[in-house]
Amino acid sequence: MTSNTIEFILNNKIHRISNPDPNETILNFVRLKLKKTGTKEGCAEGGCGACTIVLGELINNNIQYKAINACIAFLPTINGKQLILVEDLVSEGGKLHPVQNAMVKFHGSQCGFCTPGFVMSMFAMYKNNKSFNDEIINEALSGNLCRCTGYRPIIDAAKSLNKIIDNDKFIKYKKKIVSLLKKIKVKNIEIKNENKKYFAPKTIIELKKIIKNHPEAKFLSGGTDLSLEVTKARKEIEKIISLNSIKELDFIYNKKNEIEVGAGTSLLKFEKYIKKYYLDFDSILKRYGSVQIRNVGTIAGNIATASPIGDTLPLLLALDAKIILDGKKKEIIPINKFFISYRKTRLKKGQFIFSVKIPIYKKNIFKAYKISKRFEDDISSVCGSFNIEIDKNRIKKIKIAYGGMSEIPKRAKNTEKSLINSNFTEKIFYKAIKNLEKDYKPIDDMRASKSYRMEVAKNLLMKCFLEVKNKKILRLN
Amino acid sequence: MKSDNNFFNYSRPHDSGFKHVSGFAEYTDDILEPEGTLFGAIGWSKKANAIIKKIDLNDVRTSEGVVSVVTYSDIPGRNDVGPVFDGDPIFPKKKVEYYGQPLFAVAAKSTELARKAVLKAKIIYIDSKPIVTIKEAIKKNKLLFKVRKIKKGNPLKKIFKSKNYLKGNFTTGSQEHFYLEGQVAFVIPQEDNDLIVYSSTQHPSETQQLIAKMLNQKSNSITVLVRRIGGGFGGKETNFLTSCICALLANKTKSPVKLRLDRDDDIIITGKRHEFYSDYKVGFDDKGKINGLKIKLASKCGMSPDLSLAINERALLHIDNAYFLSDIEVSNYLCKTNTSTSTAFRGFGGNQGMMAIENIIDNISRYLKKDPYEIRKINFYKKKKKNITHYGMRIEDNVINEIFDKLIKKSNYKKRVLKIKNFNSKNKYQKKGIAITPVKFGISFTTIHLNQAGALVHIYTDGSVHLNHGGIEMGQGTHTKIAQLVSNSLGLPFEKVQISATNTSKVPNTSASAASSTTDLNGAATLNAVLKIKTNLEKFIKSKYKIFYSKKPTYNNGYIIFGNKSFKFEKIIKEAYLNRVSLSSSGFYSTPKIKFDKKSFYGRPFYYFCYGAAVSEVTIDTLTGENIVNRVDILHDAGNSINPALELGQIEGGFVQGQGWLTMEEVNWNSNGQITTISPSTYKIPAVSDIPKKFNVEIYKEGINKENVVNKSKTTGEPPLMLAMSVFFAIKDAISSVGNYKVIPILDAPATAEKILMSIKNLKKKL
Repeated sequence: MTSNTIEFILNNKIHRISNPDPNETILNFVRLKLKKTGTKEGCAEGGCGACTIVLGELINNNIQYKAINACIAFLPTINGKQLILVEDLVSEGGKLHPVQNAMVKFHGSQCGFCTPGFVMSMFAMYKNNKSFNDEIINEALSGNLCRCTGYRPIIDAAKSLNKIIDNDKFIKYKKKIVSLLKKIKVKNIEIKNENKKYFAPKTIIELKKIIKNHPEAKFLSGGTDLSLEVTKARKEIEKIISLNSIKELDFIYNKKNEIEVGAGTSLLKFEKYIKKYYLDFDSILKRYGSVQIRNVGTIAGNIATASPIGDTLPLLLALDAKIILDGKKKEIIPINKFFISYRKTRLKKGQFIFSVKIPIYKKNIFKAYKISKRFEDDISSVCGSFNIEIDKNRIKKIKIAYGGMSEIPKRAKNTEKSLINSNFTEKIFYKAIKNLEKDYKPIDDMRASKSYRMEVAKNLLMKCFLEVKNKKILRLN
Repeated sequence: MKSDNNFFNYSRPHDSGFKHVSGFAEYTDDILEPEGTLFGAIGWSKKANAIIKKIDLNDVRTSEGVVSVVTYSDIPGRNDVGPVFDGDPIFPKKKVEYYGQPLFAVAAKSTELARKAVLKAKIIYIDSKPIVTIKEAIKKNKLLFKVRKIKKGNPLKKIFKSKNYLKGNFTTGSQEHFYLEGQVAFVIPQEDNDLIVYSSTQHPSETQQLIAKMLNQKSNSITVLVRRIGGGFGGKETNFLTSCICALLANKTKSPVKLRLDRDDDIIITGKRHEFYSDYKVGFDDKGKINGLKIKLASKCGMSPDLSLAINERALLHIDNAYFLSDIEVSNYLCKTNTSTSTAFRGFGGNQGMMAIENIIDNISRYLKKDPYEIRKINFYKKKKKNITHYGMRIEDNVINEIFDKLIKKSNYKKRVLKIKNFNSKNKYQKKGIAITPVKFGISFTTIHLNQAGALVHIYTDGSVHLNHGGIEMGQGTHTKIAQLVSNSLGLPFEKVQISATNTSKVPNTSASAASSTTDLNGAATLNAVLKIKTNLEKFIKSKYKIFYSKKPTYNNGYIIFGNKSFKFEKIIKEAYLNRVSLSSSGFYSTPKIKFDKKSFYGRPFYYFCYGAAVSEVTIDTLTGENIVNRVDILHDAGNSINPALELGQIEGGFVQGQGWLTMEEVNWNSNGQITTISPSTYKIPAVSDIPKKFNVEIYKEGINKENVVNKSKTTGEPPLMLAMSVFFAIKDAISSVGNYKVIPILDAPATAEKILMSIKNLKKKL
């Protein structure tokens, strides 16, 4: 069944909108149509968190609360979900939610403009965790910028929640919301709004049909990059195919020493899984972006945008991942063949990314480092990743990849060559790092100069050596 | 809990706390628009230094939803928003002076449509090479004003005679304000061409005057209202472009117009902090006492004067920080560059001057191989002698020695220095550093006439109080603090005092909420208004009830008490009304004692000084330049604080903002003048995990303002920003350890990972 109407829950009621503008952001919908102005626009690119809202999603009879950036999420993507805004946390009679109360009590607001966003991030944290330590708090709030307080009172407010038993109105109404969410049967969505079309198929078969008829349509996964076309470049995206309703793309498992991740799997879900195999992959993902971004962003989206930096890409390159394409032509492409030139890939019209396969190397050492101006929620100037097999102090195999060093993320073949079959010694590495100059010709930009990029790239390889050699982690964060 | 009628030293939450957290606090963009409201967008220059040959706006005009387009030819009056000097055209006629300079604007049916429309302009420029850096400007002699020199004693002779001598140069970078609420205005036309203006501004009175001048109208036809702004930090002190352009669109269309800059446009169009370059020669003795200093201070002012003269003046006034400089010469260059006009930003030049001298002190101590804290102490102003500044002001409230000594103990500084040295000798790839730095910051506008304020207080017949004053609530809590002063003075619960939007028709001719002085000035003006009402009331009570009580009555718990006779406030207010007693008054305040001759650079520009100190400990990664702040201890003088919780918020927030300025925040321009750090994805302000891992902040309990400031308090607006200097010098200390403290590291601010790694690389070359 196909419908042109999206359905979502707001204040314990189902709301329906027929043929909404697929380019309209949730933020603009909330502020301009609902006239609820508690949610703010700070940057329109998901970088400050002032627009944070929470979506309630039904998962195994339970509601999972996801903080997202409303400024870069298109309205149709709330189909089938519960929309929670800062005003909605207040109970009838004007009683503040425990999270809001804590923020007042601990002086967590000064100018107040970022506050609603902080409240929503903290609310999602409060609902999804039982207790809140520094790590959980920092992670939950890393996508929200405050220019007034210096964060200390906000952190204290979050910590104080440890002493408060969750008995909020969302518990009170949980049964009702669950039954309402179940009542919304998510259908295949096909929206027509003037010249714009939006599809959200539920199955791969449906998806293929739509791709065939609309090969020029843009794929929407997390939309954290695509939406900037609208919010920053002020363009229209005429045709969008959302991959978010396709359950077949949302999976992750380990088969024959290979992890396969479905294209629609969120980064947050992926990082929880990959942690068991590659610790550094998890720590890089944590720095990939805020919770708001990782709640919606996917690894396939990261691959398809093919950014020269693309945080996970050097890691996937060093791990020799494979990209599984489907659609017009099924293909398996090794990731080091996938990127052609600046933001160009081998993904053809009519094809889509089905999954990514990541080999598990049981004997290998895997390390990844990200250099950026800020630890949290920043784009790297350089990201280096190393996958080494050492046998009796000899380097049997080594794969080195960097992001931020050329127009695509790529392997350091010359450097690899100079290390393979060599002894694992400081001297060898000191010699080898010079080869990075053959592998890369980095550029100057606002994130870093080319000389720093080269210098730090060399040092990261040395750092990798030192960490392995000394069996010690040499990092600040 | 403290009783409601004693509000001094009471940490009550921000008056809008409840509204902030629930989304009910209204900002300018949240105001519901009447039907027919149009929405604006600004079209700006894509060149930094050019002549406009042709500007074709036909496609803009015919773009969907566009109702009106305005250019310079639509301005009936003054086409300039320069606050002191001309130079900031609303729309230039011919000459474009920076990338991002507004050229025209549109009003359309929606913000989206307006923003799409402005992209359709076709502009042909005749391009010239822009001047982007201080160096280029000095080389080409592009200065906004004549080079200014101030001199005390004979520094050259002193330097020449000194046993030790150092020279060098130092740069502190620019900084984007990144207030979370961008520039926004909402203008509603009224009858008689009057305009009601809602604006996110720190300076409603000047907004009013500039719109009036632009439209060739009288000031009395423009009313500006500001309930609150979402952060200012100086960035909304003189950025009048948004409100003026919005008013111009409203005036032309005769419709309400809302104009909100998106983040990119906001960063591209509006001004930032001045980058400063200094070049110095210093002579000193073996103990590190400075004998003579000759320094050149050059600042990047951007395309126009704006407030640059006052900002540079404050830099000159703070080149001493807390140090007695007997012989000094400063020459000051105000460089004109093809960038947005550099403007006010928390610290207002003071911080740049202070960084210059702190860097010199740091270098002296590294040269002498002494702990920098010793050199700082040796050079401090003293109480009875060595207490006259280089501009002739006697320092009467000096507590820097006390604060410094207390903090050294409290933070366990000396032991930690040894521990750090030990750590560094054992670790090659991670190095720690520590530094303690002082702050002395002068309070008052250095433009004397700005040190005045007004207020308006009404008491209604039910005993409720309406409070209005000229200050802007931008997060600092000035409304909360002033309402606390009022409720304390009247002995009423806080809730009885209604805070209202700053409004140019209630209190006229106000100064900007700036120079840290908002509560000092407006609080005093408000108390003046309250006093006048109280005088009326007391006179009435005394005559009506035949009270011969010579002392002042007390106001407590809702009662007015004359010795053993007390009157319930609400009841007596109603009675006073029935007896035709005035229950409303304006109030006024002007700061006493201050006097400063700008020409001779002599006098008392400041009513008082704020003091503080901070110890920071950092770790750097010598392979990458990454750094973290492990621990910070702060002791800061807030006088006898009105609301310690709000002051603590200012201290911590100011510190982290300063930390951003000196570490990760980097504004970047291409050589063609295009700014490239225009959004949070490219411009990084500190996030939650960047703050010190251990953050011990204390208000100096012994603090009291010697001058007669409200509640004997001291402001905490700007001074805490400078506490972050300690982070920068801790990083420098860590770098220095790479060379076993033998070589003086060369490090400019901001100390990004890149600058740190390059500094280490250069230092290693000298080993």
